[in-house]
Amino acid sequence: MLLSKTFRSSTLKIAFLYVIVFSGAIFGVLGYVYWSTVTYVDEILDHSIKTETAVLLETFSTAGRGGLISLIDQRSNDKFFDDWVYLLTDASLVYVAGNLKSWPAAQKTDQARFEFIPADWHRDPTAPSLLRATHEVLPDGYHLLLGRRVHDLARFRDKIIVSLAWVAGLFLILAAAAGISTSRRSVSRIEAINATSRKIIETGLRGRVPMRGTGDEWDGLAQNLNSMLERIEDLVESNRQVSDNVAHDLRTPLTRVRGRLERAYNRQLNVDQYHELIGDVIADLDEILRTFSSLLRITQIEARDRKAGFRILDLTGIAREVAELFDPSAEENGLTLQLAASDRVNVIGDRDLLFDATSNLVDNAINHGGCNGPVTLAVAHGDDGAILSVADRGPGIPVEERKNVLRRFYRLEASRNSPGSGLGLSLVAAVANLHGARIEMADNSPGLRIELQFPILDVTATGMPSQEPN
Amino acid sequence: MARSARHVLVIEDDAETAEQLADALQTNGYRVDLAVDGEDGLRRGLVGDYVVMTVDRMLPHLDGIKVIRRLREKGILTPALILSALGEIDDRVRGLRAGGDDYLVKPFASREMLARVDALARRSATGIKETMLRIGDLEIDLFARVVRRQGREIELLPREFQLLEYLARNAGQVVSRAMLLQHVWDLHFDPTTNVIDVYVGRVRRKIDSSQSYPLIHTIRGVGFCLRAPE
Repeated sequence: MLLSKTFRSSTLKIAFLYVIVFSGAIFGVLGYVYWSTVTYVDEILDHSIKTETAVLLETFSTAGRGGLISLIDQRSNDKFFDDWVYLLTDASLVYVAGNLKSWPAAQKTDQARFEFIPADWHRDPTAPSLLRATHEVLPDGYHLLLGRRVHDLARFRDKIIVSLAWVAGLFLILAAAAGISTSRRSVSRIEAINATSRKIIETGLRGRVPMRGTGDEWDGLAQNLNSMLERIEDLVESNRQVSDNVAHDLRTPLTRVRGRLERAYNRQLNVDQYHELIGDVIADLDEILRTFSSLLRITQIEARDRKAGFRILDLTGIAREVAELFDPSAEENGLTLQLAASDRVNVIGDRDLLFDATSNLVDNAINHGGCNGPVTLAVAHGDDGAILSVADRGPGIPVEERKNVLRRFYRLEASRNSPGSGLGLSLVAAVANLHGARIEMADNSPGLRIELQFPILDVTATGMPSQEPN
Repeated sequence: MARSARHVLVIEDDAETAEQLADALQTNGYRVDLAVDGEDGLRRGLVGDYVVMTVDRMLPHLDGIKVIRRLREKGILTPALILSALGEIDDRVRGLRAGGDDYLVKPFASREMLARVDALARRSATGIKETMLRIGDLEIDLFARVVRRQGREIELLPREFQLLEYLARNAGQVVSRAMLLQHVWDLHFDPTTNVIDVYVGRVRRKIDSSQSYPLIHTIRGVGFCLRAPE
């Protein structure tokens, strides 16, 4: 199964294509090496023969035939000239001097260069030696034959061919093995992803792509797919919760309104009672509409084109205005609202949304933060970007609840009966998300400290219009 | 101010909404002309003499923003209140940029709508900028940024002063929380908490405490009104 997939895989096809291309290249390179080496050795041989011929001719012209014969005798006995043959004959090809005893039978005298296998000269008794020779006719009509064994050259040539063949063969085998194993590997990883996908299609979002812990790009892909699945699962889950909560949070007041109207319909009431009833119904409906608008607003923020209408803003300025707006509310709750922000801290964002989010955080701190101590609204430059934080001295949020409170309609048990829609922090989360900011919740011991950590401001890249406070 | 003469153009394609708008406006002393689509609205807007018009954002044939733009191109400057189910800020900005003067997101309380129409009608009536506002025994010197009641100076924070000024400019009329947030803080969203009430409460304490009569009144379900007793 896996093997047949391996052979059908595109990776293997590509691997084989590479093998073919690289084999061509390797053969080209090795062929060139072979050709140039052989040519080089060949040239050296020719050159040495030419030089030796010149030496002999020179000796003949300075020392005459006697000098040439003595040189030939000397060379014939010289170990260094082991591979050389010499033959001096008279005009009728009769032996005069040299280690070759007779003119090669098959050889004509009209050729200057030739190769032949001598009958009576063997360096190696087991193998006949091929000689390369030159033939000169001396001015006195004598023939001089000078030859050198080419046996080594042939062997050398054979050796190169054999080793090249080995290299090429080995390369082909290695390349094919590597190709198949690579494809098998990727095919098996892809198969794992495919299997997970099928499982998800069939049984739901629970499945995850297995990781092998190698930290390679396949693990990277698996991890990203898994994070994506995690995110999708979260979204589906929160969607499900929203519909549950919408059902609960909107149905409850609607049922109440309906009940009131029904009772009024079935009873005789006086004008004042009707008036009061209608007033109550309007208040109830207003509450529902408000919840509905908040929900819609969060959805709109989440669906909004990131950075549409964003400007450079002074976060400190916004915090100052929020603090000023909430000062009376804090006072009414017997709290002080402290502002810890002095320098201008730039962020890129939407003033309305940031103001709304900050307001929600401060409002939560004032209304749910108990009355044990001050609420502190701070703006500072963090290591990465601007940080806006709101800290209170209230009961805080248990660690395991911190992720949940950002969900729509989610309310802590403790605050279920106090006013609020359970949408405030969802709005903060939506605004933070739109601004690329992270929400961190920490223990203020005692109390809650909630931070919005904005990303690094990159003014140059955005070309944002600046909105200076006036 | 004679209210009977004031004429409002309502451009709204939904018959029931149009009727509710007309009803609310008529009860408050406006005369109302109804236009059922954008072209009708444009035609009436060009010839009629209206103090305010309310324009639905989504209209058949010619949408509300185009109607306002065409009217502005022809030099008709009748203040326009855009009524829309699209509440997102971008859309609000687009509406205001096209020449709309105010923007109200559906669904809205009719009193909120009335408060805004009143404010716009008042704007078209008073062209001159006063430097001194007087309501009962309250004096607001816009030039020196000083507030006095019965001749005694009252200290206000800058934002509190702006809030009082806005209430005073719309004296006798109801101003909603969203209108305050919009005109005093330049923020365009509906407050979901009672923070505005508490803030106004503080201003009220500064203005009204130990005085012979209160000036700042809370109008249940809508907002606030600055007025002196008859």
